[in-house]
Amino acid sequence: MSLIKHDIKIDESFYKVDEIRQLTDETFSLKLPKARFAFKAGQHISLGIKGDYQSREYSIYSGVNDNNLEVLVKEVEKGYFTPKLRKLKAGDLVEIHGPFGKFGMEPKDAETGKFVFIASGTGIAPFRSIFRTYPEIDYTLIHGVRYSTEAYDRNEYASDRYVLCSSRDQKGTFQGRLTGYLKNCTFTPETQFYLCGNSDMIFDALEILKDKGFERDQIHCEVYF
Amino acid sequence: MNPTNTKKVAFKTLGCRLNQYETDALVTDFDNAGYQLVDFDGSPDVVVVNTCTVTNQSDQKSRTVISQAARKNKDAIVVVTGCMANNFKEKLESQENITFVVENNRKSSVLALVDAHFSGEIIHPNQLPQDVFRYEPVQKSLHTRSAVKVQDGCDNFCTFCIIPMVRGRAVSRPVEEVLESVRKTLENGFKEIVITGVNIGRYEDGEAHFEDLLEKILEIPGDFRVRISSLEPDGFGDRFVELFANPKLMPHLHLCLQSGSEKTLLRMRRMYDVEQFRKTINQFRSVFPDFNFTTDIIVGFPGETEEEFQQTIDAVKEFNFSHVHTFKYSVRRGTRAERLENHIPEKVKNARSLQIRELSEENKLNYFTSFIGQTQDVLIEKISQGIANGYGQNYVPVRFKASKAEKNTVHSIRLTEIRGIGENMYVFGELND
Repeated sequence: MSLIKHDIKIDESFYKVDEIRQLTDETFSLKLPKARFAFKAGQHISLGIKGDYQSREYSIYSGVNDNNLEVLVKEVEKGYFTPKLRKLKAGDLVEIHGPFGKFGMEPKDAETGKFVFIASGTGIAPFRSIFRTYPEIDYTLIHGVRYSTEAYDRNEYASDRYVLCSSRDQKGTFQGRLTGYLKNCTFTPETQFYLCGNSDMIFDALEILKDKGFERDQIHCEVYF
Repeated sequence: MNPTNTKKVAFKTLGCRLNQYETDALVTDFDNAGYQLVDFDGSPDVVVVNTCTVTNQSDQKSRTVISQAARKNKDAIVVVTGCMANNFKEKLESQENITFVVENNRKSSVLALVDAHFSGEIIHPNQLPQDVFRYEPVQKSLHTRSAVKVQDGCDNFCTFCIIPMVRGRAVSRPVEEVLESVRKTLENGFKEIVITGVNIGRYEDGEAHFEDLLEKILEIPGDFRVRISSLEPDGFGDRFVELFANPKLMPHLHLCLQSGSEKTLLRMRRMYDVEQFRKTINQFRSVFPDFNFTTDIIVGFPGETEEEFQQTIDAVKEFNFSHVHTFKYSVRRGTRAERLENHIPEKVKNARSLQIRELSEENKLNYFTSFIGQTQDVLIEKISQGIANGYGQNYVPVRFKASKAEKNTVHSIRLTEIRGIGENMYVFGELND
């Protein structure tokens, strides 16, 4: 007897670039039509350029209900991929796989929970997606950057919820690394922590939070380099 | 079976249990179609090489096997499939000694491709249907245990790993289809099944997760044993541990730690930390003290310091893995780790690999020794010169004088002494039933 047969869902597709939105000299957002692309806030995609064998993973920077699918990209000097991305123009094709990942929360938890989002650099991307998807969410966003110009789309966040930690200028809420700020913070016991950024920051932040007595199950991580 | 078919087919499999299962299923297909199964020296008309690409070494082995297969059988059709076929498709397609390159998601239709070739049809592998679960239950196998595939692909994107690129995104086989496959496999005479896939812990079919599937498999009537192939150590709770109280479910897990260093795990983008891993191990051993854990460790991951490596050594000691499958990190093109800084010299990787392997041997000896004087229920996999070979519940290799015991039967064996060394270490025992 034959087993039940079923089709495999094909998850790859090409999208035309709508816009490259320049945020700083190095960082830009790539806006694509959202079309029927469905995802959960906090997830990431694999992005390739038509005709190029390489691809990279990017957290989605836009909200679930936004008109565009957007990713946040920092150009790596002498890198292979990001300079090519930056040269894309409206109408060029990119290839998307995904969405992937479990970084994020269930909608009911977003309505009732208390969240602290901790990001370094472009690690802010999934938090903007979460914030735009759940506008009523109770959050504090701690964003670590080198220069305050890297406070991407800062005006979208309420000033009392956004903490900018700038390590190389004095224009942030806090001058220094975000881990320096974190050490002196107090949080309520039920807080859920979401960390996104480079692995060194995440390692240090994890240690600080564990020292403060928070359980590992309360701390969710998405590692960039 | 087609009695008019006089063709001969040979298979070679590299890599993981999933690949082995998929080859077994293809063997079943070819056997049902009347092909005679031979080895590479048996003048096959068709050779199928099911490749692996998980490390540089796997690539090298796969290339060597393909060359040997083609060289020894110049008139045969050479079919190359498996993960290397995905990773190096164009390159392999350009090789004159390969007839067909079949990607993983079309692997289940290799027989249709070969039959078409022999009947004069011209089919390109890209025309074959894409279905990663199309495999029929295994009927004929070189093993006494059969794998059942429940899942394929992985979405974790660990920074070192090529698998999401060559196996595709995570997809789960529907529960009813899995259960039907298990029943059929048992009807075919297997006494032990191995639940397999790429990342089976992330099994998800509607509301059903891995524990739900496992529970339903264990509820299937019959006298059989269930093993779980390698598992990612995240996302399990008390219920998973409780399922091991069922005597059908064997007390062994291959739980992939990869590193004992928190920093390295983060750079690898693993989904757990050492503390969570420790919690899982302790949870199991508090209920089942002699539970067997084996693992995979990658040594020489980019940036791995001496201190970080020492943390891995400490973890291997603490968690008392009875076997560590040690991999020296090797660059996989297109992965994030390829772009990490501070790649480790080969000489250092070799030294670290040796240290882990030596520790693994020590652990294995200790673990096996702890069973001396105890009994294990052993499923006989083969009998050679009057000596039966098989595995006990805890996946301890056991040998004993077969007397009248037969292959594919389970016997209670009292374990008496350790014999052999290294990879060939086993426990000798005597019939107790």
